[in-house]
Amino acid sequence: MEASAFEFAMSALGIMLEPTRLMALSSGVLIGLMIGVIPGLGGVVGMALLLPFTYEMDPFAAFGFLIGMGSVTTTSDTVPAVLFGVPGTVGAAATIMDGYPLAQQGQAGRAFGAAYTASLLGGLAGAFLLAISIPILRPIILYLQSPDLLAICVFALSTVATLSGKAPLKGMTAAGLGLLLAMIGSDPQSGTLRWTFDALYLWDGVPLVPLTLGLFAIPELIDMAVARRSIAGDIKLDTRRGQLDGVRDALKNWWLVLRCSWLGAALGSIPGLGSAVIDWIAYGHAMKTEKHTENFGKGDIRGVIAPESAANAKEGGSLVPTLAFGVPGSASMAILLGAFTIHGLVPGPRLLTDHLDITYSIVWSIALANVLGAGLCLVFSNQLARVAMVRIGTLLPLVLGIIFIGAFQGSRQWGDLYVLLGFGALGWVMKRQHWPRPPLILGFVLGGIIERYLFISIGRYDWAWLTQPLVLIFFALAVVSLAGPLLGQFRMRPVHEVFEFKAPSFATSMILSIAVVSVLVAAIIVSADWPFDARIVPQVVAYTALACISVSLLFEIFTARSPLAEATAQRDVPLADATLEPRERCRRSAVFFLWCCGYLVLALLLGMLPSLFVFVALCMHFWGRESMMRSVLLAVCITAFAWILFDRFLAVPWPQSLIGTWFPALQPYLP
Amino acid sequence: MSETSTRQAIAAVLLAWTAALSCSVVADEVEDFYAGKQVSLYIGYSAGGGYDTYARVLARHIGKHIPGNPTVVPQNMPGAGSLTLANWLYNIAPKDGSVLGTIGRGLAMEPLLSGIGTRFDATEYSWIGSLNNEVSVCASWHTSNVKTVDDLKTRELIVGGTGSGSDTDKFPTILRNLLGLNVRLISGYPGGNDVLLAMERGEVDGRCGWSWGSVLATRPDWVADGQINILLQIALAKHPDLPNVPLVMDLARTDDERMAMELVFSRQVMGRPFLAPPDVPPARLAALRAAFDATAQDPQFLADAQRIDLELNPVTGAEIEILIRRMYGASPTAIELATNAVLKAGR
Repeated sequence: MEASAFEFAMSALGIMLEPTRLMALSSGVLIGLMIGVIPGLGGVVGMALLLPFTYEMDPFAAFGFLIGMGSVTTTSDTVPAVLFGVPGTVGAAATIMDGYPLAQQGQAGRAFGAAYTASLLGGLAGAFLLAISIPILRPIILYLQSPDLLAICVFALSTVATLSGKAPLKGMTAAGLGLLLAMIGSDPQSGTLRWTFDALYLWDGVPLVPLTLGLFAIPELIDMAVARRSIAGDIKLDTRRGQLDGVRDALKNWWLVLRCSWLGAALGSIPGLGSAVIDWIAYGHAMKTEKHTENFGKGDIRGVIAPESAANAKEGGSLVPTLAFGVPGSASMAILLGAFTIHGLVPGPRLLTDHLDITYSIVWSIALANVLGAGLCLVFSNQLARVAMVRIGTLLPLVLGIIFIGAFQGSRQWGDLYVLLGFGALGWVMKRQHWPRPPLILGFVLGGIIERYLFISIGRYDWAWLTQPLVLIFFALAVVSLAGPLLGQFRMRPVHEVFEFKAPSFATSMILSIAVVSVLVAAIIVSADWPFDARIVPQVVAYTALACISVSLLFEIFTARSPLAEATAQRDVPLADATLEPRERCRRSAVFFLWCCGYLVLALLLGMLPSLFVFVALCMHFWGRESMMRSVLLAVCITAFAWILFDRFLAVPWPQSLIGTWFPALQPYLP
Repeated sequence: MSETSTRQAIAAVLLAWTAALSCSVVADEVEDFYAGKQVSLYIGYSAGGGYDTYARVLARHIGKHIPGNPTVVPQNMPGAGSLTLANWLYNIAPKDGSVLGTIGRGLAMEPLLSGIGTRFDATEYSWIGSLNNEVSVCASWHTSNVKTVDDLKTRELIVGGTGSGSDTDKFPTILRNLLGLNVRLISGYPGGNDVLLAMERGEVDGRCGWSWGSVLATRPDWVADGQINILLQIALAKHPDLPNVPLVMDLARTDDERMAMELVFSRQVMGRPFLAPPDVPPARLAALRAAFDATAQDPQFLADAQRIDLELNPVTGAEIEILIRRMYGASPTAIELATNAVLKAGR
């Protein structure tokens, strides 16, 4: 088996290196890079778009095309993440933590170099892991039952403690909120509509893309707006040398790259554990296992390397269940399954024995795509890094415009924009009040699958599954993971300092905590008359979160220096401009946020694309203080670009605008 | 010839001539309407799934069968299991024949069975046709001791489901509630393939509500090698491939039970339904229906569908309309039986 597998691998390489196939792969890579750069678009959109084009291709070229596209979106999504703090795909949010501060320090080139190298190595490691485990894929997956998957997901969730820095209780509350958000919608067990308040939009739950963009990107943009300077400020850029530095950094940390890529590949093979979570888990892992992690969150290059290598390795990992059983490891894999059917292939044992050439060609496609993608990115990041020097007045309205349209890809309804702005506001408040945001995303992504696997486990095995070996191991790891940071807080101070009481006082930093308590109580009350199956998990989560935040609040009110609710949550992005008076900062933030709301109102009135034009022109001129000529010109450019990409190419069905309703004659002309 | 008969002859000729003229005028009107136009085919689910695949193949070929040869552009408008699209098609979409849609097959009965969130009257849609008359099966893994549907009366079969509202959940629930069969549902699997994987793992013993076309496309070797037992077929009539597998309708013991099952399983007939908003002008609707039927016979379309293993048993729009009216005319007893049959035992 060994020898023939190797032969297959080599012959598959030969097949892929043929000119037509290489061209198909390269086209896929180019498209994938572009998709990764635009926030809101991700691998899923690309797959759906490109699948019909593969009907006429031969299987090797078809898979090269699709996999080439899917493998590199997590390479180029670093670009907006580092430059603007806007994740290009949901898997780039963790890269922002250290990548964006690096750009602010003028080291965007270094961040790019390290990120691309890490992406490349991670992708290759993922492909390699897939290749060598092909013979044993099926037995491994067959061994894992639902309780084991549940335990792994719970362990993944427990990394929130690490990601919460010095505010573990707030982190756990945020994770709880994320879990509750995940349960909005139609309950899989009973069909009960949970917390949808009669809105059809929420039946399928809150979509991930606008939530991520709102939570992470909008607060960064507001801070950028408040500071009113370009990203890198007045710091001189030196990108060429910076890139080489970055590459060297990544190579120096090769052991971290390897660990994170294997983590990414392994987690990627668990269906449901998407890229939105894997990058955070890798980040948390790096924080826990590396030495001298004080600078994580302030521009530590390892904070860029870890998530990037994991995110790219995930692609190889998500192919594992897809190839072995036809169980899609991710949403884009679900679409890839369509490609298999088109070419008369059935994922499963046959694919791994009779069609080993196709299987290995897929592995090689991942490898080649990563090399090509990283190479292209490295070549062009010089130019891209210069964007950090562009005036904020020009840059911000453009980025905002694209974010709105990108967020709209979530589920292509008006609700997406409300989610974007709503979570933008929440993200900004969380940032101000020093609440860690990554736990919320972790809870949100994992909430759905944890609840599903929990019900399957209990329904099938009652409680016997709790004694399974893998379950015990992962639960134990989870407990250790959670308890560690909590106990660490106490170890750092003598006990009498912890419980040093003072007269109860109120500080503005408690506003969000109090709001969260009210929301949790309200949620519990609303859920009271749901059927048992629908309310048990949400209520357990809500009560736990309530307990965490109440303890945290009590400490804040009654003790002098509360270790568990310390004001500086270092793991979140540092505030860009501490020299500004709080009131002025609030005023500027409010103004910018009002502009965002204005965009929403415009969109409701005129439709997405016309409002894009109007908004960009007005915002650039009045807020950005650019000349009218320049504003209008750039507005035209971006609207044309959006129109070609989203209207012509992606055939997005734009929602009904008010003008369209009042003047039906205009309807066909208003995208 | 007498004068009266001459006048009659002239009148007849004039009448025939006017009829022919108006027909061609109408036909011209349809052609004029569609010439150079873009017809949007909205899909109530996201890209890559079954409904999406059928719709895109149809969209590629139906345009040339519509007078005027418009371009047909597929667009995804997912949400609430295609309920968003269904409501939009009924209330907001233009009713001039430039908008088509495909929604979930069970949605037309939803106002009768539950009525949650539905803002449409299924009898008023302009039904164009269905590309498949679905047959779903209940299958058990070869290691299970349930080998025939009769075994289900005494032995238990643990089946996997993908969540409330899906066929894999609804169908076993009805079998249990209405027919008293020993089916235990473990629901919550992320997708149909996950249930199949669970079967291989030994976590569940079977899957109910599995489309036969899908069985043939994705696990043909399981059937050939005897890895699964096909216990029951669920549709209004037997599939030609499965003459010896019992049909669920034959298990009904009373007329009301039979009607209740028809209410739920009529969705199989409109397995891949295509429709237009209500009140589409009759001539255009007729043209659309004719185009649909012609496409279903079009060799290029058939070749395309064959290549991606799409099962095709087309049903005309007129048949669907008759079916729906029949369902909506069911007796209250039957409707109540059906409504209760799909409810899972709550705790």
